[in-house]
Amino acid sequence: MRISPNLLPMLVVALVVLALYWPIMYLVNIPVAQRALDTGAALPCQTAFECASQLRSPVLPSPQQLWGGFVSLMFPLDSPNAIPLNAAVTALETLVGLLLATLVGLFFAVGIVASRAFERALLPWIVASQTVPIIAIAPMLVVVLGQYGVQGWIPKAIIAAYIAFFPITIGIAKGLQSPDPLALDLMKTYNAGSWQTYLKLRFPASVPYLFTAFKVAMTAALIGAIVAEISTISFQGIGKMLAENSRASDVVAMWVIMLASAALGIFLVAMVGWLERLLTPWRRAQVAPRPKARVAGREVGA
Amino acid sequence: MVFPNGTVALKEANLEVAPGEFISLIGPSGCGKTTLLRLLADLIQPTSGQIRIGGKSPEEARKSRAYGYVFQAPTLMEWRTVLANVMLPLEIMGFPGPERRARAEKMLALVGLEKFARHYPWQLSGGMQQRVSIARALAFDPQLLFMDEPFGALDEITRENLNLELLRLWRETGKTIVFVTHSIPEAVFLSTRIVVMTPRPGKIETVIPVDLPQPRTFETRETTRFFELATAVREALRKGHGYEVAE
Repeated sequence: MRISPNLLPMLVVALVVLALYWPIMYLVNIPVAQRALDTGAALPCQTAFECASQLRSPVLPSPQQLWGGFVSLMFPLDSPNAIPLNAAVTALETLVGLLLATLVGLFFAVGIVASRAFERALLPWIVASQTVPIIAIAPMLVVVLGQYGVQGWIPKAIIAAYIAFFPITIGIAKGLQSPDPLALDLMKTYNAGSWQTYLKLRFPASVPYLFTAFKVAMTAALIGAIVAEISTISFQGIGKMLAENSRASDVVAMWVIMLASAALGIFLVAMVGWLERLLTPWRRAQVAPRPKARVAGREVGA
Repeated sequence: MVFPNGTVALKEANLEVAPGEFISLIGPSGCGKTTLLRLLADLIQPTSGQIRIGGKSPEEARKSRAYGYVFQAPTLMEWRTVLANVMLPLEIMGFPGPERRARAEKMLALVGLEKFARHYPWQLSGGMQQRVSIARALAFDPQLLFMDEPFGALDEITRENLNLELLRLWRETGKTIVFVTHSIPEAVFLSTRIVVMTPRPGKIETVIPVDLPQPRTFETRETTRFFELATAVREALRKGHGYEVAE
């Protein structure tokens, strides 16, 4: 994989944020530390400045606290309370959710493209399905699925799929409709059947659109999975860790888990980009403008 | 030919094409030349009149894969290599694998692009892309070739080179070609007969036989006869109010 030309500017921004973080952290934590000292709490520090980086419930955790929290939450790697195993479960839910969403999206997209009646009858409902807050559906879905013996990570994957299928449906439908009218005429001159037209023209043409949709859907599915974990009874997953530490008011741990889930999201989206480069070799060095998919009224660049 | 919105696209169009001919349809935009070609190819259906292609209706001809069609744009599949693009009709028509490859390679050699078989379309110039699309149209060896302004988007120099190459292809393969253009020199240089069409409603104004000797070369364009024929076409276009006259 080639190194992005954006790497250096990105690193500069990271350094600037880090440089600003320290003074801001002291600024917001010192009053809290002063109050703690004033109440005479037993603290391992004497001055407010010193205490600011060691508070149990800081406004902003100090970098050394974050590092300490990171180390204690990462190891042992196979601990049921550590990040790696829980992140893996959340990633599994997200990926299975995305797979389910792709199958459903493919079905809806082909229906929308193939039949005007199907589009008129179902598209409004597909759009409407996305207006229901996921947090309202998740607990109900888990209870209902539980009655059929579906438990554990599977309901979370289904909830992830519920959010992710929409951008995928729209993306594939856009892609299936992307071939030039002349290309469709060309298939007609070959007397190609409609299945052949899908196989040789419409599906390959939709691949770049599919990957654009995947990048949006991946983030959505991850949010869906974490929200599902938080809002239902969970024994594994990033969401379960967030819920637990929220109840324990462990600010440092919540920060670490939040950063870990961000890293997981970046990793999953990067994986889509990597897969895209692998599967669409004809686009590797192309300078032609990439397709844009319109998702829920906003332009989503490729 | 009347479109659903009531526009009469094509009125009097009586024409007979013999096997092995190179026929050009020429006329200004809106004269129905592309419509006529699309009617022949069964991409649209006539509201009245009759078309026979080797005794068959256009639909039968299309279904028996009697013709190859070259569009204004190359319409190559960007995800397919040049070779795979030429193999596309062969895949759809169910040719066996090894034969597909052999035929596609032969066709690429015919248009002089055998070295680019593994390239992707975007790596080729516009002229090369259009040559690939000609190779693709010939891959399944149809007797008829329909070409709709295939060189319209190319620069003059490339266009003249491709004209020569097309004539060579025509001689070597013995195909019947129906060629749509709005370039007078191109029509005169390529054709055995030129069908001059005029707009509103589209109709055939006249048919001009081209008696320039074969094989034609770059020098053909500089002969007196070439200019005489070009003038004849130009006058036929003017006679049918083929020019937009500023009022």
